[in-house]
Amino acid sequence: MEITARDAGDVTVLELKGRLDMASGSSLKEQIKVHFEQEKNSIHLNLGEVEFINSSGLGALVSIMKEVRLRKGRLTLSNLASYVQEIFEITQLSHIFEIFKTEEEALNSYQTVQAG
Amino acid sequence: MTSVIDTIGELLSRLQSPDFYEREEAVRELGTFNEDEAVAGLVMAIEDSDLGIRELAADILSKMKGEIASRLLIRFLGHDDIGTRNLAAEILVKVGDDAVEPLIETLADEDADVRKFVADILGLIRDPRSVQPLCESLHDDNANVVCSAAEALGEIGAVQAVGPLQEAYTRVEDARLQSIEAIGKCGGSDSIEFLYSCLDTDDPMVLFAVLEALGKIGSLDSVERLLPYLDDADSSIAETALMSVIEISLNNGGKLEHTLPLDRFVDFLFDGIRRGNRDLTDFTLARMKHWHGPNVLESLVDVLDSVGEDERKQISDMLEKVGPTAISLMVDKLAEVTATTQLVILDIVKHHVDEEMAAKLAQYATAPDPDVRQRVAHTLGIAGWSGGIDCLKRLARDENGHVRSAAYAALGWLSTEQEIDFLFDGLNDEYVDVREAAVGALIMSGSGMAVDRFTQDLYHENLERQRLAVSALGLIGDAGVVEPLAKALNHPEATIRKLATGALGRIGQILDVQPLVQALSDEDNSVRKAAISALITVSGAEAVPQIRFLLDDDDLWVKYHAINSIGELKEAQFSEMILPFLEAEDDILKIAAAKALALMKADTAVANLKNLQQSENSDVVQAVEMALNEIGG
Repeated sequence: MEITARDAGDVTVLELKGRLDMASGSSLKEQIKVHFEQEKNSIHLNLGEVEFINSSGLGALVSIMKEVRLRKGRLTLSNLASYVQEIFEITQLSHIFEIFKTEEEALNSYQTVQAG
Repeated sequence: MTSVIDTIGELLSRLQSPDFYEREEAVRELGTFNEDEAVAGLVMAIEDSDLGIRELAADILSKMKGEIASRLLIRFLGHDDIGTRNLAAEILVKVGDDAVEPLIETLADEDADVRKFVADILGLIRDPRSVQPLCESLHDDNANVVCSAAEALGEIGAVQAVGPLQEAYTRVEDARLQSIEAIGKCGGSDSIEFLYSCLDTDDPMVLFAVLEALGKIGSLDSVERLLPYLDDADSSIAETALMSVIEISLNNGGKLEHTLPLDRFVDFLFDGIRRGNRDLTDFTLARMKHWHGPNVLESLVDVLDSVGEDERKQISDMLEKVGPTAISLMVDKLAEVTATTQLVILDIVKHHVDEEMAAKLAQYATAPDPDVRQRVAHTLGIAGWSGGIDCLKRLARDENGHVRSAAYAALGWLSTEQEIDFLFDGLNDEYVDVREAAVGALIMSGSGMAVDRFTQDLYHENLERQRLAVSALGLIGDAGVVEPLAKALNHPEATIRKLATGALGRIGQILDVQPLVQALSDEDNSVRKAAISALITVSGAEAVPQIRFLLDDDDLWVKYHAINSIGELKEAQFSEMILPFLEAEDDILKIAAAKALALMKADTAVANLKNLQQSENSDVVQAVEMALNEIGG
């Protein structure tokens, strides 16, 4: 899986492309750990080009979420394909994650919080 | 022929009838005449013994134009009967404009009570013609008349009355309160300095009125003058001053550069929120960005029960932004609030709960409200607190299906292999939502044990369990599921074979595609179609030689699917095998072929496509036109 990182203000945006499974899930966790070490605790994952996700990939996301919460940060997701959306619904992970339709909506939500 | 006057005369006589219906009819009919005599009769009818007739007459009179009715009614303002006086006054207010001139004339009446009454009525009518006469009435000998005139001027709100009102304040001690109140309502910059000069009054009622008046005038400059009163020992004065500061702030777009000692007013402000006072609510919530000591946060949580949905959302957002202090306080407050507020609190805290707080929340797993228990289940799962597993298992046995569903989902986020058997029990639940939540939890676990159990379930006696099993294996999607899914391609149930084929296609990275290739020859057409899709997904163009034979399948829709799938590869090298379908007997295949050739950008197909432009089937023509556009023919 390809992971492209960029900054959008105080938010680190990671665009994922390919398959999110055990191997790529571990890579993702490692990459996010690097951002945590740089005190970047606001992470947004754009899953628009994730073509496949399995239980290992979901486990990686849950693990990342737990880490973010421990650091009092925030994790958001966007652009879920219908298949990925389906798996999130079956596992009710939409209760854990903040999921937005588009990256723009997600990033705007960070602005709203900061403006308060 | 009876003249109008005779008719009216007859009706006036009937007003004296002992019969209610006769009198009522007479009133109605008099209302259809404009003559003075008729109006006079209607005015007399407001003295009728029957309330209904009095009200009927009043209603008719209030809609009459001209001054006649007003002049007659004014005579009743001195009536012995208070009911008649009040009714006459009511009618005059409703008459409005046409009553103003006669009323103004009556401000000179010899009876002070009448003069007072008239001033009151003019205040309610609020006509600017009354201003000057009422200002003159401020010089009346009778203090009650002066008071009413001052009040009336306040109701009209004319800034030119401020000078006379200031003078009345100075001259008539008994009218000071009314004068100040009226000055506040009239406004104007001239008022402000005068009001400042009144602040040193000994009269607390006057002081209240001055503080309020400054608020109503709304000048930001007044805030400085009001601030000292926020510290007044008398809380009523302090609160009145604060209300005025709030009014001024709201009238100036929320601007307020001064720091206010709001901690003193927590109870006052939050009582106001509870009572639904809009100004206090808006002001307090706006201050929340910078004001959140513990007692404030506690008060915010306390009012969650009292406010509307919009305010609740505002408060929820604020509490969430405040962070851990607020979260902890809210969790502590859960025991004291209603179920509705518990839900609001749980929605706020769920993303912020740590293990310590999760342990506190577990006690609410036995709350009487099932919605609360459901939220608790989700929150325990989100908190990631492994100590919550036992609690969640109890909730998974809850009488309410939604609670059980939430509990299973939460267990999925938390659980280890040790809970696999428990989760599998959820597949026997009577509600499909709970069964799906249990499947979701098992997918989350993705464990080898779960895969083994689902593999066994592929051959469960219950077909739904079989379907759940194959779907779950597909969604678990790890390497361990490939073998059982491949074996399921030989399952006796076509549905299972189809789902297994689809799942393998989705998983993708399969080393041995042979089972999928065999599925291309399945007896069931839905399985063959699923196999086409799966092979294309797994092997891409390399799959085409394997699926090519299905272009001759007996089933029309298998052929259709094969054409579409090959077309979606967008490789012109395959155009030759699609071209013959432009001449297929079935138009649906011609359409599929046209679309496939368009995707391939097969210019070799242009001539054949053009031949179809004369087809009788408009859908064929449309597909061909689109293809030619795409290819550039």
